[in-house]
Amino acid sequence: MKTKLRGFDYFNIVVLILVSIICVYPLWNILAVSLSDGIYAAASKVYLIPKGWNVETYRYVLNNPRLGVSQGLWNSFAYTVVGTLVAVILTFLTAYPLSKKRLVGRKTIMLIFVFTFVFEAGIIPNFIVYKSLGLVNSFWVMIIPNAVNTFLLIIMRSFLDALPEELEESAYIDGANDLQTMWKIYFPLARPAIATVCVFYSVAIWNQYLVPAIYLQKQSLKPITVVLYNLIVAGSKDGTSLESIRVHGVQLLPQNLQAAAIFLSVAPILVVYPFAQKYFTKGMLIGSVKG
Amino acid sequence: MQTALKGKPPGARGNVWNKIWRSRLLYLILLPGLIHMLLFKLLPLFGLVIAFEDYNVIKGGIHSIIDSKWVGFAHFEKFLNDGYFWKLLKNTLLLAFFNLLFVFPIPILFALLVNEVRFRKVQRFVQTVTFFPYFISSAVAVSILYTFLSPQGGLVNVALEGLGIQPIFFMAEPGWFRPLYVMLNVWQLFGYNSIIYLAAMTNIDPHLYEAADLDGAGRVSKMFHVTLPSIAGTIVIMFILAIGQIMTVDLDKILMMYNPSVYDTADVIQSYVYRQAFATKGFPNYSYGAAVGLMQSVVAFVLVISANRASKKFSDSQLF
Repeated sequence: MKTKLRGFDYFNIVVLILVSIICVYPLWNILAVSLSDGIYAAASKVYLIPKGWNVETYRYVLNNPRLGVSQGLWNSFAYTVVGTLVAVILTFLTAYPLSKKRLVGRKTIMLIFVFTFVFEAGIIPNFIVYKSLGLVNSFWVMIIPNAVNTFLLIIMRSFLDALPEELEESAYIDGANDLQTMWKIYFPLARPAIATVCVFYSVAIWNQYLVPAIYLQKQSLKPITVVLYNLIVAGSKDGTSLESIRVHGVQLLPQNLQAAAIFLSVAPILVVYPFAQKYFTKGMLIGSVKG
Repeated sequence: MQTALKGKPPGARGNVWNKIWRSRLLYLILLPGLIHMLLFKLLPLFGLVIAFEDYNVIKGGIHSIIDSKWVGFAHFEKFLNDGYFWKLLKNTLLLAFFNLLFVFPIPILFALLVNEVRFRKVQRFVQTVTFFPYFISSAVAVSILYTFLSPQGGLVNVALEGLGIQPIFFMAEPGWFRPLYVMLNVWQLFGYNSIIYLAAMTNIDPHLYEAADLDGAGRVSKMFHVTLPSIAGTIVIMFILAIGQIMTVDLDKILMMYNPSVYDTADVIQSYVYRQAFATKGFPNYSYGAAVGLMQSVVAFVLVISANRASKKFSDSQLF
């Protein structure tokens, strides 16, 4: 095969580098601004490298309860951990019986799941039901209603379906019942699918905006997405949410305070990204090719 | 009996009731999922009845669905005769159309370019980086957009000023809403959406390229005459599925990006339904909102089902 680089290769690499920069630069700039002195940030003089390097912005944003950023981050963290745990368990428990061909009615049940996935009741009927169930201003509205996602249920079920049936048979020879077989044999084998589903749920819960915007009016329950929206978008309309003050010789202005808040809400995603990317790719390929 | 069945999973033999009884543990495992579906998926569907009633908001609750007065198709007639509904429909379809126009082809072009890179590591790096925006929440994406487009020192406006152009308050200009929404979606989705095409490209028979080499085909020519036709099946399916999703807008993004000054282009069916129930200054109109929402759900449902049928025709793969 030819290994010499030609004109096309150079063109291609330049285009791809540009595209990559477009993907990374916005966040990179936000990081640089968040670590800069507000004076440079407000004058739009920060592009790549922080000017007037400091971490006062972060200290201020995290230690100022009025902004609600630390509370929001903590809430999102709690929702994500508890929500993912509940969702993964419930999804596995639902997918397992539905992957068994001997289960009478499995096709009908699957069809109902798919139907409710494709035909949405909409936000208003949902609201009436959730409200009656006491989910308004409740921690659990972030956990329970979306604990079984049909798409992820299908991924989990196809994975379990593909495991050889002999596994089950040999377990029954040893006298195990369905619960024991599921727990001791299938659960450990399903680890790759569980990891994939885990990643999908946790990213979805961390990024959730609509549900908390509708159901969580109490400040103490708001996740970081809603806090961020109020701080940057809604706040910029009336200009009241962020002040400009001087702390330890550093000027804090809306520009660098907002940047710090934005970066803080992406930071957890950045940490889990290398892991998440791998399983996301897997899930997407299982989900959309094999269905 | 016990010994005779040993070695066979319970429920492997016998009549239906026998089967069910022997799989009773499986049903027990399934029970929480079924209850969840009943409460959070089926009960709201029953709640759609309020679209045909005058739902009593003050009483509220599920029992009020049964008590409220039946009005038949009154709400549907009302919005079909309301000029604003047609505007919402137009906005929804236009937004979806422009979105499809860019969000659909860009990942294909991008995948073609990535596929031509000869160094695995470079390929990996580009994919890792371009995949990242998909993981960012709409809240963060819109926040970044706001700070970049801010008329007070946002980088885009600073650049415009450098070119001698007056600063633009992008988020308050109705004409900018659609381009910004589409741009943000492209930014968040193109890396993710390209994965499926790249996966399809790895399955192309290398002999095809060798044959093209013998014919003296160049790199670009091979890209368009070998690679592209080889993934045509995937493209068709993805396109059909995208058409099926055309009524589905990114409500999170719209709610965060729009404001009354851009309603002219930005207000879509779903954002209108949202405002009817949760953001109205006056009395929330659940029944009317639910009727508009139901209309949207029915159209979306028909589109998805037809898309699924169509993709079945083109190949074995389908959504469900």
